[in-house]
Amino acid sequence: MDMAVKASDISAESPRARTQRRNDLLFRSATLFFALLVLTLLGGVIISLIHGALPALKAFGFGFVTTEIWNPVTEKFGALAPIYGTLVTSVIAMLVGVPVSFGIAIFLTELCPAWAKRPIGIAVELLAGIPSIIYGIWGLFVFAPFLQKTVQPFLINTLGNVPGIGAWFKGPPYGIGVLTAGLILAIMILPFITSITRDVFETMPTMLRESAYGLGATTWEVVRDITIPYTRVGLVGGVMLGLGRALGETMAVTFVIGNSHHIASSLLAPGTTISAAIANEFTEAVGDTYTSSLIALGLVLFIITFIVLSLAKLMLVRMNRKAGT
Amino acid sequence: MTALSMTAEQSQAALATDGDMREKISVRNLNFYYGGFHALRNINLPLFDKRVTAFIGPSGCGKSTLLRILNRIYDLYPNQRAEGEVLLDGENLLSPKQDLNLLRARVGMVFQKPTPFPMSIYDNVAYGIRLYEKLSRADMDVRVEEALRKTALWGEVKDKLRQSGLSLSGGQQQRLCIARAVAVRPAVLLLDEPTSALDPISTSKIEELVDELKPDYCIAIVTHNMQQAARVSDFTAFMYLGELVEYGATDTIFTAPKEEKTEQYITGRFG
Repeated sequence: MDMAVKASDISAESPRARTQRRNDLLFRSATLFFALLVLTLLGGVIISLIHGALPALKAFGFGFVTTEIWNPVTEKFGALAPIYGTLVTSVIAMLVGVPVSFGIAIFLTELCPAWAKRPIGIAVELLAGIPSIIYGIWGLFVFAPFLQKTVQPFLINTLGNVPGIGAWFKGPPYGIGVLTAGLILAIMILPFITSITRDVFETMPTMLRESAYGLGATTWEVVRDITIPYTRVGLVGGVMLGLGRALGETMAVTFVIGNSHHIASSLLAPGTTISAAIANEFTEAVGDTYTSSLIALGLVLFIITFIVLSLAKLMLVRMNRKAGT
Repeated sequence: MTALSMTAEQSQAALATDGDMREKISVRNLNFYYGGFHALRNINLPLFDKRVTAFIGPSGCGKSTLLRILNRIYDLYPNQRAEGEVLLDGENLLSPKQDLNLLRARVGMVFQKPTPFPMSIYDNVAYGIRLYEKLSRADMDVRVEEALRKTALWGEVKDKLRQSGLSLSGGQQQRLCIARAVAVRPAVLLLDEPTSALDPISTSKIEELVDELKPDYCIAIVTHNMQQAARVSDFTAFMYLGELVEYGATDTIFTAPKEEKTEQYITGRFG
């Protein structure tokens, strides 16, 4: 009998209409609540980081980020070594990972025969799915010994003798160290940058691409002169997302970096990163200043990644706006 | 349907008054496939130097496909394949030995929408030249100006050559794309519905341009607009469902078509 009721017969005051209004309100408030939860969580994390870091920041002031000393015995803490390690490993990861990722993406979008596209694409995505602990043990037991026996002696004997940059490749080949951590990071960010780069390349209009080929340009010339300039903003965004991940990666780096709070001029020497230091030392942090210094390290990392990721988002948004017009 | 295609000799005879006609491109027994789809069936057709040939026909009839064979741009895509012969100055450009980049430098193409490169107006025009020639700064300036003058764009852009090509209006962008194609000094110019995204004023400018470029090139233009075909072309090819229904002098096609299908199309009864 309900089926016979026409929509126009239902008055605004009927029970049915009131139920509908109530359910709608309920639904709206529930989703709003979930959405606000995200903001609350983010705010909560920031506040508790600042709160936890305050004792250390009060004790050491701005000197916390400019001193290298990290001495749990005398309770003197400075974050320079982990900050340096974080930035240097990330730079190595970018220098190695970005060109390779771009190469894979260019191959997949411009050159790859149709039958190989899916397998390679899937392999790249699977690489992204490997848990970082596995990169860690693989890095420690396989990759680092391999570097120690082959790559590092080679670097020491060749680049190590070059004046200037030679200092980066001096010292004994430990296997583990800043360079190894950077290379592991490069492998880990590769799938991220590759898949974003590939998506960004695919936003390039077919006709623009064909016009470039139509003038007689080779694939390399089209990519260099047209595709990369056209997708520039998106590419930078993708690289920044990869950088954000490299900065924060903990497990794999902790395994292979050597965890030494000392800034060595050589990239082959052990070092540490912010996240590696926190992961390693939290269990043994006795005393409020020690704990607070580790939290302050976390705050520094949060600020660095926040800046990097905001820039990345900003650039991706700008690119999408450009593509939309 | 009977595919009537006039041979080069016949059409030359028909236009015997024109002394200097030379067959630049000869399409012979051309078939084209998108995967399993037979998109062009046994096409035979000449394209004359210093003349404009228009391709008309309803959407999907294969006219753009035919144009895309002439510079082998279809080669960018797997599963697209052409059979038969397309001779450019007597040389089969479908031959696997054909150097595609050199071919595309000789056969310029302009697309449905303006596609300026993400670089300055000057560099847009200079880009194609730089791919093949190493010119001094001064020589390059001359070439760029020449191309921009040919496309009647020089007066409008000479004071802002360093600005992005994207800053121009749609009509200007399309003329920039023609300038870019012309700058390489190709022998053939392919225009794939070059005015379909433009307003009437820009359209008439492009049409004037085609007229002015005619003495130097062999031009092929695909168009949806029959008035345009009638205005700019010397020869017209009417295509339908992947076949060449009728080819001949434009005046003849539009005033006394031999095929019923052609007449129906040009009088707007279908398509």
